[in-house]
Amino acid sequence: MNGVVPLAEARDDAIFGSKAVGLGEAARGGLPLPPGIALAGDVVEAVASGEEDAIEQVIGAARSLAVPLAVRSSAVDEDGADASFAGQHLTLLNVPSVDVLDDAVRDIWWSANSDSAITYRQKVGLFHRPSVGVVVQSLLDPETAGVMFTRNPMTGAEERMIEASWGLGEAVVAGQVIPDGFRIAPSGEVLERRPGYKKIAIRSLPEGGTFEEQVAAERVEALCLGDRELAALNRLASRCEEVYGPARDIEFAFAGGELYLLQCRAVTRF
Amino acid sequence: MPGAPVESVLRVPLFSELNEEEAQQVASLFKQRRFKPGETVAREGSGGAAFFLIEAGEAVVTVAGQERRRLGPGDSFGEIALIDEGARSATITAASELRCYGLTYWDFRPLVQGNAEISWKLLQSVVGRLRDEQAAGR
Repeated sequence: MNGVVPLAEARDDAIFGSKAVGLGEAARGGLPLPPGIALAGDVVEAVASGEEDAIEQVIGAARSLAVPLAVRSSAVDEDGADASFAGQHLTLLNVPSVDVLDDAVRDIWWSANSDSAITYRQKVGLFHRPSVGVVVQSLLDPETAGVMFTRNPMTGAEERMIEASWGLGEAVVAGQVIPDGFRIAPSGEVLERRPGYKKIAIRSLPEGGTFEEQVAAERVEALCLGDRELAALNRLASRCEEVYGPARDIEFAFAGGELYLLQCRAVTRF
Repeated sequence: MPGAPVESVLRVPLFSELNEEEAQQVASLFKQRRFKPGETVAREGSGGAAFFLIEAGEAVVTVAGQERRRLGPGDSFGEIALIDEGARSATITAASELRCYGLTYWDFRPLVQGNAEISWKLLQSVVGRLRDEQAAGR
């Protein structure tokens, strides 16, 4: 079993972790993903241990990806507890070169073995060592990005609910802006367009990491998605529901005019 | 060669009774870890599960917000957590770019459980420290 595979070949939760397998399913379903590879938990362990063969294998496989890279943990399933572990693990945006990928993978390994992760595991009664896979993808430089529910998560109504802002989607996910809000019927009819207040955009730095860019005054309250983008999002929502099933929570980005799927999870109702 | 340098491991009081071969087994379990300046390495009161040996850089030890001392290359912290996974007794913060070798409870325990000779020497080391503490009247 090869522990370093293109995303489309990540099929086993127990080897690659649930995030990688979820993205693998998307790739096999023809959804528009940024190109990427998945690393098995034992490969991550070997890279973190400094094993040269494993490091060379990972770096060799990642050379086909355009830099910069986004490197994310993919928790290997533990009694279905993955969702609870989301906050314990790490995402490294904008790793500038494949030559420092081993450092990024080591950081991910330690995030799953940190004091807070271990304390949490003890609290929930998990006394075996954690295993973590890794997803490595080309990092997009998006014009706009955001999140979409394929159904209303509060009412279950059949409407797409979208929040979006300029730049990387982390501004929306981390609540750093008031995003634009949209509602679309599955027929494609736009039910609501609500301008937000988007003073910053998160962008990549050439040397790695991200920074907050001030948004030009005329764009702060201007809608960041138009009819063409909303129609593309509605098609993506339908396609995601075909591949994964109903009620999905999606992260997306528009880069170079193209729509990309970054993540697709089941909706958690509150 | 993956792992920490054997000579650094042998300078740690807990491992000082081990012979070279045993110390090599322990050293091979360490993984490198880096911290940015200002990053919290360990937080007082939170559960701990790893032991760290400093390879390069400087760290500050604080207890209840008061600085107690500074750690540099060759210094170590967190060895008790390797055995009891108990709460950290101090906060350790990276004062500069900090490079460490870290050993987790999960990696250490199977080695000790599978090797009676190493277990006995660790026990001797712990008891020796207890005896020193008693002699000092603490």
